[in-house]
Amino acid sequence: MQKKTWIAATAVSAMAVSLAACTPSGDDSAESGAITWAIGGARSQPGAAHDQIADLWNEANPDTPVTVEALPESADEAREQQALVLQAGGSEFDVLGLDVVWTGEYVENDWIVELDDRRDELDAAVLPGPMESASWNGSLWAVPLNTNTGVLYYRTDLVDAPPSEWEELCQVAADLDDSMSGYIGQGARYEGFTVNWLELYWSAGGELYNEDQSEVLFDVDIATEVTSFVAEATQDGCFAPGFNTAMEEESRIAYQSGDVAFMRNWPGPYSLIAEDADSPAHEATAVAPLPGFDGNPGVAAIGGFNNAISAFSENQEIATDFVVWAATDPEVQQILVENSTLPVLNAAYEDSDDPLITQLGEVLQTAQPRPSVPAWNEISLEIQSTIFPAVNGEMDPRAAAEQLAEFLEGTVAE
Amino acid sequence: MSTAISTKAPPPRRRLAGHGLTEVALARLFIAPSVLVMAAVVLFPIGFALVTSLRSYTRRQVDGFAGLANYGTVLSDPAFWAAMRFTGLFTLTSVALEFVIGLAFALLMNHARRGRGVTRAVILVPWVIPTVVAGQMWAFMFNINPGFINSLLGLDDFNWLGSAGWATVTVIAADVWKTAPFAALLLLAGLQTIPSELYESARMDGASAWQRFWHLTLPLLRPAIMVALLFRTVDAVRVYDLPQVMTGGAFGTESLSMLVRQFIVITPDPGIGAALSTITFALVLGVGVLFVSQIGRSMVEGGSTR
Repeated sequence: MQKKTWIAATAVSAMAVSLAACTPSGDDSAESGAITWAIGGARSQPGAAHDQIADLWNEANPDTPVTVEALPESADEAREQQALVLQAGGSEFDVLGLDVVWTGEYVENDWIVELDDRRDELDAAVLPGPMESASWNGSLWAVPLNTNTGVLYYRTDLVDAPPSEWEELCQVAADLDDSMSGYIGQGARYEGFTVNWLELYWSAGGELYNEDQSEVLFDVDIATEVTSFVAEATQDGCFAPGFNTAMEEESRIAYQSGDVAFMRNWPGPYSLIAEDADSPAHEATAVAPLPGFDGNPGVAAIGGFNNAISAFSENQEIATDFVVWAATDPEVQQILVENSTLPVLNAAYEDSDDPLITQLGEVLQTAQPRPSVPAWNEISLEIQSTIFPAVNGEMDPRAAAEQLAEFLEGTVAE
Repeated sequence: MSTAISTKAPPPRRRLAGHGLTEVALARLFIAPSVLVMAAVVLFPIGFALVTSLRSYTRRQVDGFAGLANYGTVLSDPAFWAAMRFTGLFTLTSVALEFVIGLAFALLMNHARRGRGVTRAVILVPWVIPTVVAGQMWAFMFNINPGFINSLLGLDDFNWLGSAGWATVTVIAADVWKTAPFAALLLLAGLQTIPSELYESARMDGASAWQRFWHLTLPLLRPAIMVALLFRTVDAVRVYDLPQVMTGGAFGTESLSMLVRQFIVITPDPGIGAALSTITFALVLGVGVLFVSQIGRSMVEGGSTR
């Protein structure tokens, strides 16, 4: 009998140990003053920008070092890891790297602290779009770290000037020879589709919500118009045949191999295309702001990461100093540029002698974040399940827009 | 485990000298820890999912007891029925094709005299490749731009992954390619248990090849067929990785498991996610019970004819 209980006890404790090993460990934050920075995303891996930034901070602040807890690259998985710790009230993470659309959800869950007393110094130095993505209900809840924006890539050997209107782009596309299509963007059914469609919708003068996200301003007519435009452009070959299965990589491959004349993408692929000597787009590529609709200027969507302070952190003051420093220190922001990530500091664009960075700085002035409402993921999925079938001819564009409008009303009523 | 022991003749109830335990009691004692661990590992998550599915949640926080409301929400959601339709279609088609192709492979491997090892290795290669890798590979091949399949078939810009219906076909094709070898492996094992004397005497009696296959191979292969179908059906009902990697669920290729993940990770509502996974579990369990009861019967019938 004794043997049995001993075995069972061993088994149970072995399980307990292995379960405990599954949760992220917080050993480093145990010593006072040290802070942990939990951030995911493509460049969270060792040696990349986040580690360089941490090293820079640690040199100047040896008493309050920061360690990077690299979360998974996929945004959903990174958010899930943070949620596991925060839901349990864990103090393992002091600084949380937030995708720009998570702010509202984290605030409503009481996971992060308000940072209004640092707002003035940040407003003076940081781009307005990223600041908006870090705000919720009129208060500041995070500090921007890096940004990102959609731009139009175009072939300078095929067109003299980038089109300023979508209709114009499709006219140019119609005159190309048969082996080429006009345009490719991110048209597969995922978050990228939502972003691409929203840019079109904003560029036609549409809005989803009012300023403080308390009221829905969704315009069914505008939504129907842009959805019908994409459906027609896909039909008549202005948009490449692979548009509805393309994500960032597929778009880049199509453009780089010379199948399309125009591409919507993030600035990241620019250097890849410019360095590929075999590509027809090599030496003949430039970026421009996205086209608009009906005389409205094109509006790009903002991506990137903000840093928030965990409500359960035991070092909130030092953590706040760290995130403000990361947003405003020119050296940190230069590290981002070197890692093909866009800085949030105004000065980084004004002082730059790189024409690409100057151009992106201009695009960013009018770029807009997706609303960081708590229900953003639900809204994005609803756009994917109404608008996506509509642009692929499987649903009436007006019916899709009306269904989306109804869903958006429901997000405010709650 | 326990059935294997109980089918043997019961061991004599000897008592070990100086101890108060019979061998049976001792055996139970030794097995108890692993039974406990199994119960904790297997039964606890199932029970926990059931309890979770009866709760309502607001923003990840428990809101109270919901009764069967989550199940009502799930059953009235068109996305659930779309996922059921795809999962059902996928399961029926892919398992049927895998069975037929797998049986052909198994007969080929069983009959191959020369180059037996090479034949087996070639047939089994797809099974060794991780599903996610295979999915990505097929997505590339069906894609328009690298477009291997389009250039092979001379289809130019045919959009396999981006059109309704064809997207389902590509996912099923990839699954059949990947797992027909597994069905073949299970069926081959069954084929090799059939004594060759039976075929010899059938040949003496003048049975044609088709008659030997229909009246000899198939009935004797029944237990192996049942096991192969059970494994493949259960796997197909909970399919996740292939449609996730190849189409991301677009064009009606969203499976039940993908929907579960959506409610657990992307738009967190643990109550609905748990209700969905409980329904998926019930489906898988139902399929399993159906097959296991069939296997049991075929074992008994097979035993009585010998």
